[in-house]
Formats: sequence, C-alpha cells, structure tokens
Amino acid sequence: MHIPVFERGIIPPDPVAPDSLKGIPRQKTNPSRWQGDNWQDFVRDLQSRGVTVCEGRADCSVFMTDAGGVAYSLPHGVVRPNSAEDISKVLRAAQAHRVPVTTRGGGLTTEGESVAFGGLLLDMSSMNRVLEINSDAMTVRTQAGIFWHQLAEILRRDNLDYLSAPLNLTASVGGTLGVGGIDVNSPRLGCSADQAVVLQVVTPTGDIVNCSERENPDLMERVLFGYGQFGVITEATLKIRKFTPITIQYFYYSSLRTAIEDLQFIAREDASDYSGILTILDRAITLLVAFDSDEREREFNTRWKRSLRGHGEAGFGLRMAGHYTMHPWRIKEAAYIIGRRFKLFPEFWRPEFMHHGKIIDRTVVFSRAVWKFWGGPQMVIPDLSSKAEKFVEAVERGNAVCRKYFRHYTLYCVGIKLRGRLPRYEMSCIPPDASDIAYGCEFEPMLRGTNYSRDYLQSFKNEIYDIGVDMGLSYYRFGGMMKGYIRRAMGDELVDKHLAMKKAADPAMVLNAEVIF
Amino acid sequence: MSEEKYDVLIVGASLAASAAAKRLVDAGLDVVALERKKLPRNKVCSGILSPRGHRFLIENFGPLPRDILHEPTSCRGVTFHFPSMISISMDFEGGPTPHLNRKFSDYWAVKSSGLNVHEETSFMGLEDDGKVVHVRAMRAGIELKYTARYVIGADGPKSRVRHSIYPDYMKSIPWFMVGQKFQRIIECPLDEDYFHFWFHPALGHYTWSHARNRRQIVGVGFPSGGNLHEYHRNVETYLRDKHGVKLEPAEELEGCAQNFGPSLINRYVFGKGNVLITGQAAGFFNMLAEGMSCALHSGAIAGEAVVGAIQRNRPVQEVYRRLITSEAKRCTDQWNPFRIIFGNPHEADFKAGMRKLSKREQLAVIRDIFRFMKIYAPYGWGRQILSQSLIRLVRNKYPSGRWL
Repeated sequence: MHIPVFERGIIPPDPVAPDSLKGIPRQKTNPSRWQGDNWQDFVRDLQSRGVTVCEGRADCSVFMTDAGGVAYSLPHGVVRPNSAEDISKVLRAAQAHRVPVTTRGGGLTTEGESVAFGGLLLDMSSMNRVLEINSDAMTVRTQAGIFWHQLAEILRRDNLDYLSAPLNLTASVGGTLGVGGIDVNSPRLGCSADQAVVLQVVTPTGDIVNCSERENPDLMERVLFGYGQFGVITEATLKIRKFTPITIQYFYYSSLRTAIEDLQFIAREDASDYSGILTILDRAITLLVAFDSDEREREFNTRWKRSLRGHGEAGFGLRMAGHYTMHPWRIKEAAYIIGRRFKLFPEFWRPEFMHHGKIIDRTVVFSRAVWKFWGGPQMVIPDLSSKAEKFVEAVERGNAVCRKYFRHYTLYCVGIKLRGRLPRYEMSCIPPDASDIAYGCEFEPMLRGTNYSRDYLQSFKNEIYDIGVDMGLSYYRFGGMMKGYIRRAMGDELVDKHLAMKKAADPAMVLNAEVIF
Repeated sequence: MSEEKYDVLIVGASLAASAAAKRLVDAGLDVVALERKKLPRNKVCSGILSPRGHRFLIENFGPLPRDILHEPTSCRGVTFHFPSMISISMDFEGGPTPHLNRKFSDYWAVKSSGLNVHEETSFMGLEDDGKVVHVRAMRAGIELKYTARYVIGADGPKSRVRHSIYPDYMKSIPWFMVGQKFQRIIECPLDEDYFHFWFHPALGHYTWSHARNRRQIVGVGFPSGGNLHEYHRNVETYLRDKHGVKLEPAEELEGCAQNFGPSLINRYVFGKGNVLITGQAAGFFNMLAEGMSCALHSGAIAGEAVVGAIQRNRPVQEVYRRLITSEAKRCTDQWNPFRIIFGNPHEADFKAGMRKLSKREQLAVIRDIFRFMKIYAPYGWGRQILSQSLIRLVRNKYPSGRWL
C-alpha cells in the first residue's frame, strides 16, 4: 500500500465525505518525531564551527514537555547558544542539512510549541544578560532568553520597571514577544510585544539583522507576534518606566456579564492603571483595579467608582450566604469558594510585600500567586480573544464549557490596548475586527490533584476553540494541537499568505515550523 | 539466545497499538511491536468508525488516504429497526464518518506512528520481575526473547497478554460470536448511507447489515457455541420478508469471538505491574460494538501513561489507571440509563429520533427495547449497570475497585 506524504500546508480533499467533521481541516496537528536523517552530519558540521551540541539523554529529557504537559517528545540534541553568531551557525547548518530547529525560552507554551519533536532544540535561556539600561531614552537592551523576573530584578536596582509582562514571569522575553504577552496593565499599555523598540534577529537562513519600525520594518512586523516563524530574537530593546508601588481595590460580582461590562467601562474610560477579572468558578467574580499613584486612585474614587456595580467584600459575602442558604445542595461549592478565598487573597497583601498599604513589588506578588494557586504539572489554559462587543457572549459560552468539564476552574479576563491596525496583528492573537481595545479570557481548570487524559483535556480545549471559530474570534496562542484551528479561524487565504512568506524566509522549513503550519 | 531490549514492547499492530506507539515514538522511546500476522493483515470489523475516532486519526496520523476506505467511503449514521416495524435513523454528530478498510487503515496507522513492527512474531508469554518484563515470542518456529521496561497488550478480545497475567479471566466472562457474510445485492431497500441494527430478540444478540463494495453485509452476534449459519439464515429470511432485501448466496464469510460486556458493567482489565492492557483487550466497546475509537483513545492513554510514569518516576499502573478514568467513564456512560435519559452519551441523538415518532410509536419502541434487553438477562448485567449508574450519580465517577 502506498502511504501518501503531504507537503506542509497542503490540505488534501477528503475521501470520506465533504460534510464529514464539519469543516475540520484534514491536517495532522500532533506532529511526528523527526527521525534523524542527516543528524550526525549536522552535528559534525556544527562542532567544526565551534558550537557544542549536547546529545545526552539527560540533556534532552529536560525538555520533554512544556508547561501544557500534553505534548511529549525529545530533541536529538540541545544547543545552549552564547551569542547570535552561535544561532546563525546553527540555522545555516540546519538549512543545509534540513534539520528541524525548535526554540525554547521558559517553556511556558501550553500546546507543545516549545517541545522539539526531534531535531535540535535551542535553549535560549543561556542568553540572559541585560546589556544596557538607558534611563534617558527609558529603554533597556537585553538578550532575549532572559526571563521577565530576572529583567525586573535588574531594572529594580535603578528604580525602573518594564511596561507589561505576562503574570507568569518565568516566560522569556523573546518567547513573549513572539506571541504577544498580556498583563493587568495591558488595557493601558498594550501587549508586551508592543513595547519592543529594536530587535536583533537571526533569520531562518542565519543572517543576523537588526530591525525596528524604521530599520527593516517588514521583518520587525513579522517577528513580533510571529510564533517564532521568521527568526530567532536574540536581543530586544524594550520601553521601560519608573518603578511604582501599587494600590489595589477589589469589587465582587456574582454575574459575569456585569463584571465584564464594568471591566470594559474601566478600560474604555482609562479609569485605572491596572484592571482584570479573576474568578472562582463563575460564582465569585473579582474585578481587580490598581493604581500607580494616589492621584490616579483619587480620581478613580471620585469619578468612576460609584458607577461600578460590584460589591464590597462584606456585602458580597452576605449575598453569597443568602444564595447558598437557598441552595444548600451546593454546600461543597460554597466550601470551595470560601476555602479558596481565604487561601488566595491574603497572598496579595502579605506584610513582607506591603508598605503603607501599597504592594511594593507586583512582579513578585502576582507571579508567586500564579505559581502557587494556578501552577501544576499541567497548565491547561485555552483562551479566546475578541472585540469588545462579542466578549461577554464569548466568556459566557466558554464558562458553560468549563462547567461541563471541570468541578473547579478560574476565568481570567483582561483588556489589550491596540496600536491601531499594525501588520504584526495579522493572524495573531489580536482579533481582526477589534479596534482600540481587544479583550482576552483564559479558561483555566484547577488540575492539581486530578488526572485527566490528554484526550479529555484536548476535548475541553477543542470546545473552547470551537466557540472562537463559531463567533469569528481569535486566540491568545496558536500552535501544536491548535494548528487545526488556524485555518478555521483565519481562513485559508490568510494562512496560505503567511505560509508563502514563511517558505520564502525559511526555504527548508526548519525553524519552529510545526508550531502553526 | 540473545535478548532484544526495548523501552516498550507492544503486542498487536492494530489501531490501539498505533495510538500507543504514536505517543511513545514521539516521546523518543525505543518501541517494538509483535504482530503474529504479516502486514497488512485482514481484520473482522464493520469498519464504521465514530466521528471522535475519525478526528483522532486525522490529528495524529494525518489526512486519511482513499486506499484505507471501503465503498461507500462514509457512513452517515445508524438506523435502528424494531420488531414493530418502526425504524429510527440518526445521523452522527459531526457528519458522516469513515467506513474503514481495516486491512489498510491499521497498516497506514501503524506505519504513520513510526512503530517498528516485528511481523509474523507470536507473543508466547511474559515474566515481570518488577524492573523489566521478559517476553517470549515465536517467529517461524524459532523462540525469541525480548526485554522491555513496559509491555502494552493491545492484542484484541482474546488477548494473550491478558491471559498471561490473568489466566482465569477468559473463563470468567461471557463470550459472543459475531459473524458476517458478504452477499451480492439483487435488491436492497436499506439506505446504504446508514449502518442498520435490529433490536429483535428472535434474530440474535446483535444483528446488523450495511453495504460494502457493492455487496451487502449481513451480520449477527450470538452467545458462543451457537451456529452462525442458522442465525444468519434466520436473519436473511427476516430481511427478505420484512424489508424486501434480496441477496445472492454468500460469497464470503468471516467471524470472530467478542468480549462484549466489560464496558457495560465497568469491569475493565488494565493490567498488572509493568504490563498494561488496552483497547478491546481491556474491555472497551462503544455502544453498537464500535471498538475502534475507544481502542485509539485508550491506546493513546496507555502510551501517555508510560511516558508519564518515566517522566515522573511513578508506577505505571498508578498513572495509567488515573489517566484512563475519563475514557472508562465516557465508555460506560453509554450504557448508563440516567445518562441516556438525562443527557446524550452517544455520538448520535436517539432521543431526537424518538421525538419524531408519535406517542403510540414511542411506546412500541420502548416495549421492543425492553423485550430485546431480556435476552441479555442471563448475564446479570442489569443490576450491575444500575448499581454502577447510581454510584456514578453520587460520586461523579465509576468505582475503579472493579477493575482488574
């Protein structure tokens, strides 16, 4: 029997039936491990150029999976580059020997994007030095393998801070710029990727190129939000700002719709410096607003606070008590919410992180809480991003899916300020129909102490992603198991356009090609 | 005699084996499969895969080639026929699903998984010393020895791996024979886009018919020991008299034994020590005896369990039994009366089909179903299904204590 091999990006006609599986593309989304053709020649080539390739089982096994914990594979070898030149040598040799190369920063992808299915893994965490802090221009130039918490630590010495970074601070700067990156200040300051001013990039063919909005702007627009397809970011110059302690206010809701409407109101009015929604199931919904200065908080208190429909903690507690008195069969749910409240919230005002009622270092507080309360061997966080008008419905539908699959879960919603319609937003997490502010929601089951098969978790993700297809939304992350959704969500024309650009930039299709194509 | 050493040895080269291999090979493990026949090999099967299984194949092995499908290439749904001559047609959720030619679909899946298969090699037995499993096999009359850290038994209903660790199991469950005959069509009013199933106690425990490659398959399942030709003759006569199906004499016949039952009553067999049992060998069967999608998913879970056990340094049985919970739950849910009445655990909507009938017809169908179920009374499954369903209602899961 002849087993056909399909070229990447080719979606063959379906021999089963045209209406089978309702439009799901006939595309293998769980890649096969590359079988190692030319590997030894490739390694010899690299060694002759002074690049060390670690091939030991222990070296490779460290990178067997990512934070998502659903995709497992092993690279044939690992390179920990010291410079852009090392990466250039790797990519030139990879093109010549057609060896797949996967880049990895903190490995915080959830769909297997930073898992190497054979081939070479570039462990970018070795390139983690801050190169220059410019307090006049308010920029920092750093190697891109640095984790955000390392960058924050160094900036703090000069009383400086990054603009926005993912709450999970063991993400690398380079990886974050490749996908977007959102923070609770994204409604004001935008994605992490939008704070990049200049990048040094090694292209898939091994050229070391600087790019910015003036110099090589096309490459800049492709690399940002580019899922690692158009080059390896080796250095990034980012905007920075003065470091400030923050104050937080909490508003409690029992209706997702009302809370989201208030979140959008705050973002629209620019009423706070930080805002986001964090829920315990869909029963206890917390709208968090925070401020960099007393002036901003005073202005919020006088101008906007009264318009919000959320309750204070005491009032909300009484309402919840009333609700569960009328629904005594839900006592376990009530106990979970109370338990979670008393464990989680004190983490935000631990005395060692507070000074005069302000959180001294939000980086530490948020990142610590994320790992402590949402971390685990598997991070399953499908998400949807939409324009303002569709957001409530998207969250409500996603919430229904969470209810169906899991006993305990969290929703995390945040706004994302856009910089107009930049080419970098095309086929990215930014919804094509969003203007000014887009909104994202993560749907995160609490998996600690539970065990679900990959298929069960994948089915859950699929149902969330199906909402995106149905409503014409976008997603915060594409790749791995989500490959099948890119064409469904974005359409063949756009995906084929990017595939053509990818083929032109990466003739042997070696750099992170499994992520989206 | 030298021993070949592997991380994982799989017995069987079917869909469950391919799915397990996909996870294991991708994870960089050294894997081998022992298959007693030469590939591609024939397999007795309706070939009607559920939509969930179809999606699994695409996502893990890629677009389906035309060569792995029979004609018609797809099946739109299932039609239930009742003795009261009421028929209910239900389309699969997700659209038509593949009509697989198991000879080539299994070959394609196993090749696509990257699995190294030792063909014409029969599994003879194993010994698990707690650290590694020593496997004995036979090829062309020569005894072979293998050593593997883990063994996965994906060798079907009459699993020899399962027999090697639970020698008495085969005697402890009821066995059924299923046989299908292939007959050229003279006249057949049954819609060829559907899989047809009869809830008729006088025909057999499992009676079906569907079209394949311009012939009609007439199949029947019955307790082991029955005479296939008698059962088949009875069904053929019924189809001719009641449905106007006129067929030429059978050109071909195939049959096999089936362990229909464990999934109904939550009595799965998942293995012991470093030996995992998966697929139909473990007892997975969807309603209407479609075992391929559960084989794919349970096989993949067995592979994931081995990878997880190695990565977290945990006993593989512990990991496997935790991960398999959701698949066991999904599969057993299909027989759970509460799930059937208050939800829809199947991939086709029977209740929607019922709603299209008049009240009188609905009552006739319910009466026919109860009469049909009576032929299963000797197996004592009813009480077990009810008790398991009640536990599921309270604890939101089926008890794992009943698993072997």
